[in-house]
Amino acid sequence: MQKQRVGSVRSHRILAIGLIVAGAVVVATFVAAASGQSTKNTKKTISVAIVANPQMQDIASLTPSLFTAKTGIKVKYTILDEGKLRQVTTRDVGAGGKAFDAVMIGPYEAPQFGVAKLIKNLTPMAKADKAYNYNDLIPAVRNALSANGKMYASPFYGESSFLMYRKDILAKNNVTMPLHPTWQQVATIARKINTSSMAGICLRGKPGWGDLGASFTTVLNTWGGTWWSAKSNGKPDKAQVDQPAFKSALDFYAGLVQDAGEKDAANSSFNECLAQYQAGKVAMWYDATVAAGLLEAADSPVKGKNGYAFAPVNKTKASGWLWTWALAIPRSAPDTASAWKYIAWATSAQYIKAAGTHTKGGWAAIPPGTRLSTYRLPQYKAAAKAFAATTLSAMKAAPITNPGTTKRPGLPGVQYVGIPQFQDVGNRCTQFFSAVIAGSMKDTTALSQCQQIASQAIR
Amino acid sequence: MTAAAADVALKKGQVGDPFSSAWRRRLPLLPALLYMVAITQLPFLVSIYYSLTNLKDRTQTLIPEPTKFVGIDNYRELYSDPFFRQAIWTSVKMTVLAVLLSLVIGTLFAILLDRKFLGQGLIRTLLITPFLLMPVVAALIWKQQMFSSLFGVLNKVLGFLGFNSVQFISDHPLGSIVTVLVWQWTPFMMLIVLAGLQSQPSDIIEAANVDGATSFGIFRQLTLPHLRRYLELGALLGSIYIVQAFDAIDVMTGGGPGSTNVPYYVYQQSIGGGFRYGAASAYAIVVVIFAIVIATFALRVLSSLFKDEERA
Repeated sequence: MQKQRVGSVRSHRILAIGLIVAGAVVVATFVAAASGQSTKNTKKTISVAIVANPQMQDIASLTPSLFTAKTGIKVKYTILDEGKLRQVTTRDVGAGGKAFDAVMIGPYEAPQFGVAKLIKNLTPMAKADKAYNYNDLIPAVRNALSANGKMYASPFYGESSFLMYRKDILAKNNVTMPLHPTWQQVATIARKINTSSMAGICLRGKPGWGDLGASFTTVLNTWGGTWWSAKSNGKPDKAQVDQPAFKSALDFYAGLVQDAGEKDAANSSFNECLAQYQAGKVAMWYDATVAAGLLEAADSPVKGKNGYAFAPVNKTKASGWLWTWALAIPRSAPDTASAWKYIAWATSAQYIKAAGTHTKGGWAAIPPGTRLSTYRLPQYKAAAKAFAATTLSAMKAAPITNPGTTKRPGLPGVQYVGIPQFQDVGNRCTQFFSAVIAGSMKDTTALSQCQQIASQAIR
Repeated sequence: MTAAAADVALKKGQVGDPFSSAWRRRLPLLPALLYMVAITQLPFLVSIYYSLTNLKDRTQTLIPEPTKFVGIDNYRELYSDPFFRQAIWTSVKMTVLAVLLSLVIGTLFAILLDRKFLGQGLIRTLLITPFLLMPVVAALIWKQQMFSSLFGVLNKVLGFLGFNSVQFISDHPLGSIVTVLVWQWTPFMMLIVLAGLQSQPSDIIEAANVDGATSFGIFRQLTLPHLRRYLELGALLGSIYIVQAFDAIDVMTGGGPGSTNVPYYVYQQSIGGGFRYGAASAYAIVVVIFAIVIATFALRVLSSLFKDEERA
């Protein structure tokens, strides 16, 4: 009996020791993981999330030779399409995650995140860095990325929207495009030149506020419609999706795509339209000005064949959007110093020059629209003759503070509404609009569903 | 007195008291159990708490505002949310269609595979392949190489036959997703039904043959009743998995009318752009309740299957 009891006490003791050892192992693992992280930091690797557009693919491939070789800082890229990038960055920045040292965002996010203190104010670093040359940034772009005089992201490229068209195709059909067209003129021309092998116009139809949502909202603005009316304090008042102007803008947009638009419109956005235009499957394309650099690039099959006109209008004087893909540092980023070194290089005038000689697209395809000095480069002036001046004046003309005919809620913006709820509302509503474009849903159904979403979001 | 009582208790503990010895045997498992509870049940409790608040992502308010306790407001909103109802309806249609179709096709394949023929092993392996593919890869293959109206095989064939091209995913989002799900889940159903067919005793069928029954009669009167439990099992396991379908929807349509099912809607409300964690938690909890109901049925079918096996 006695022995047995001793045995059980001993087994308890062994068990206790076992538990302590197990606990120690767990603690040791965490300590090891933590110290592993700190050794990683001394090796200087930063993680950067960027959007999957051609200019960003270029910088990702040039980084090892032009940046890492000089600074010793390795850059780990996460390249995602627009919609996914937004989810990832919004989630990570909002939760104070440490996944990224720098993230690519735009003027929709930068001021909002900045005001909420989720990303770092870059102004002191930018002004202190002589080589960065803060005053060289195009003021409209810098302002779009700032709030209360603080710049929260450094622009990698900037753009407005305009109309690109094949001069040869229009000439063959005996039509000319005015420099400042109306949407009615564009629609008439698109329907006239539309053939079964070459569509009249490529317009974005892929769901997403930054995809279909961006193109469509510029049309909506110039039609006199809006997503929400604004209270006098700038807060959203009532959803306006059920208003006649909204319906006529949607009907115009969907009707034009159905009659004379690209194939598979409901899945097409910037990259898909670019591919179709370069392959000669569409004759006109309304999209970001940055596309022009790719159409006139050294390796482009349609180089020299294109004309450029300002964003078409209806009721307003200018309708082009203002956008820039810019790099920001999340408040919780592990290595701010290295992140700034990277941003200062990636968005510098020196990188823009390097891109001109190191990329396949050549001078025409360099990241445009961020620095005044870009437009003084002789090589760029020669390569971008067809569109550089139009791009710069389109960016200056973008009606960012007053995009439509009524007051907008939130922070300034053309192709988006500067309130946090717009991301979700824009994404979900454009799914319905995309279905209208595909012909699988009635416009009235889509609008009434969207009105509900827009009302629900601001409650 | 007390010391004696304690001694008795101790003795009782040592001499094979079922409770004590059972616990001593289980004790080494306790850390694992606690770990499981900590990583599965605590988050669930936290979700229940979140579902009673208006918790939002920090990016969703320009000026950080404190999270408020809102009681059952989220559940009330869910009840009146037409999009949640649409999502439930889509989930039901998607699951029922995908499960039934994959079950029927799977059964046909299983019957064909049940007989000996040349290259049977190879054919069986090929038929199982779709189930081994990652769902995202399967969805991408279907989206880009089959359904696409620009480079899709289906539209090439349609064009060759003189038909107009069809924008499968835009025009028929639900149909397209169900097609991919059926393609992926047919092998699973086939394997389950095949196991059922191979467990059928051959003497009964021989006897039926001797009695002059037709092969269709044998199938309807003998094979099908024997397969009933296997079909039920396939349907229930399939439902549990297909109700959660997410990959195919995200890759092919990214949500939208006709393709946003309940899991995708919860995703849209939370980390997919809505960032309303409070409301999304309420939605998720309702989904968990539904899932538990289905799983209970599945477990009952499974256990009855094993009981039959023991009896046999």
